[in-house]
Amino acid sequence: MFKAIVSAATLSSTLDSVSVLVEECKIHLDEDGLQIRAVDPANVGMVDLSLSADAFESYEADGGLIGIDLSRLEDIAGMAETGQLVQLELDEETRKLQIQIDGLEYTLALIDPDSIRQEPDIPDLDLPAEVVLEGRDINRSVTAADMVSDHITLGVDDGEEYFYVDAEGDTDDVHLELTEEDLIDLQTGPAHSLFSLDYLKDMNKAIPTDAEVTLELGEEFPIKLHYGFAEGDGQVTYMLAPRIQSE
Amino acid sequence: MGNAALREIAAIEEIPIEELSGSVIAVDAHNWLYRYLTTTVKWTSTSAYTTADGEEVANLIGIVKGLPKFFEHDITPVMVFDGGPSDLKSDEIESRRAQRESYEEDLEVAREEGDPVAIARLESRTQRLTPTIQETSRELFDRLDVPVVEAPAEGEAQAAHIARRGDADYVGSEDYDALLFGAPLTVRQLTSSGDPELMDLDETLATHDLTHEQLIDAAILIGTDFNEGVSGIGPKTALSAIAEHGDLWSVLEARGDSIAHGDRIRALFRDPNVTDDYAFDPTIEPDVGAAREYVADWGVAESEVERGFERLEESIVQTGLDRWS
Repeated sequence: MFKAIVSAATLSSTLDSVSVLVEECKIHLDEDGLQIRAVDPANVGMVDLSLSADAFESYEADGGLIGIDLSRLEDIAGMAETGQLVQLELDEETRKLQIQIDGLEYTLALIDPDSIRQEPDIPDLDLPAEVVLEGRDINRSVTAADMVSDHITLGVDDGEEYFYVDAEGDTDDVHLELTEEDLIDLQTGPAHSLFSLDYLKDMNKAIPTDAEVTLELGEEFPIKLHYGFAEGDGQVTYMLAPRIQSE
Repeated sequence: MGNAALREIAAIEEIPIEELSGSVIAVDAHNWLYRYLTTTVKWTSTSAYTTADGEEVANLIGIVKGLPKFFEHDITPVMVFDGGPSDLKSDEIESRRAQRESYEEDLEVAREEGDPVAIARLESRTQRLTPTIQETSRELFDRLDVPVVEAPAEGEAQAAHIARRGDADYVGSEDYDALLFGAPLTVRQLTSSGDPELMDLDETLATHDLTHEQLIDAAILIGTDFNEGVSGIGPKTALSAIAEHGDLWSVLEARGDSIAHGDRIRALFRDPNVTDDYAFDPTIEPDVGAAREYVADWGVAESEVERGFERLEESIVQTGLDRWS
């Protein structure tokens, strides 16, 4: 059983933060909210999302599992105007999702969850450095780095106590330093890792500019990016594997 | 050979390979593979790459030896394979066949003279890749996650097309023809141990104050893969003749010469048979284990490929999250 009413904005934010990595996903419809966990086909980027029942106008579920085509559902959610509500109801018999937006009814065929790539195990990472900053600073870093390179280095200077971003292009370089004053919070530790901008750009698209984003970093370790949405009732954690520079 | 004479016209400079780091190179696969095939065949015992059924798969050794150069410098090669002769008309096929025969004669001469560069180049022109080599090369590239694009006709033309569309930063080819196909930047000597050469189309045109069309015309006068060229016309004469008369036809008219199928050869370079219908993911995630297994299954001696595989493993750049879970 699954029946819920949610604002189009919250539904779109939820779907958008997953669709940057995968095209299809499984959604766990738990009693206290929904959960999505997915990894891209190359196993480089992962998303772990939860949306509490509190984020919905109304929410009833009893632990079902559905598989969806994200772009389909995003298109449907896009039919709603800002502030409109979307009603979702699972038809257990036909295994289709009934969606209603202001009189518009859409019956969405679901995907067999077993046909969707297995949900990943979440890496157990103990990352030494933590940086809390605004989404707009991530956007600025990623946009600047993208002008010169395909890769971006994120690190924390343990001694001088600042977070830095480096991108080296063929001719041009980008460097950004953010000290504790520029950041919401900083816990220094040895951190320096290189990441693919392709992935980070996609993740950045989903991060609201005013979100408070927590980055966890290590040396040649995956990065964890965590932020809340839907007034804190939604939580997203991205994990991205580093590029390890060859000799 | 007209082809090599283009070097005198081309703007070429040696560059450190580090400059190519992070780039995508659309490689003329036939051209690249042949270089490694010929060196493998030359330096390796036949038994190291011959299966029990007598199939020769020297290409597998060649690929394992050749790819680390890309991986170690964080370069993504996109292997562009030749398609069939496609819609070349029968008389053109005939003229190409005649051309092939003339290459074979040249090859004999080069062998007698012991010119290794000419031998390698001519061998790659006169021989075709066997179906087994075609198939196993693609299979091995697949396991190593090296992107492959199938050209409708000339791999080099398709590679140039990919670069022109901005989907690759460079074309990788030993052939100066890449200029004629319109490759903006061509990297040569990717198969050698030294620094590569960068051939720049715009700079070539600017240096000689030519349009791309005029460059093609000059090349046709000198001789290309598809025609003999006008006797007595070398690079210098071709350039001054084009400067004086403007284009191929006016030069021929003024000299009272002719070139068979000149218009078609011109069209082959100006408007080659290429496709927009290709896609590749430039992020390479090689499955070196599967590649080792594949090569071993084909009976290739481990000692011949071990060093190459080690280099490929060391140079993996993007890690997967499963490494930490």
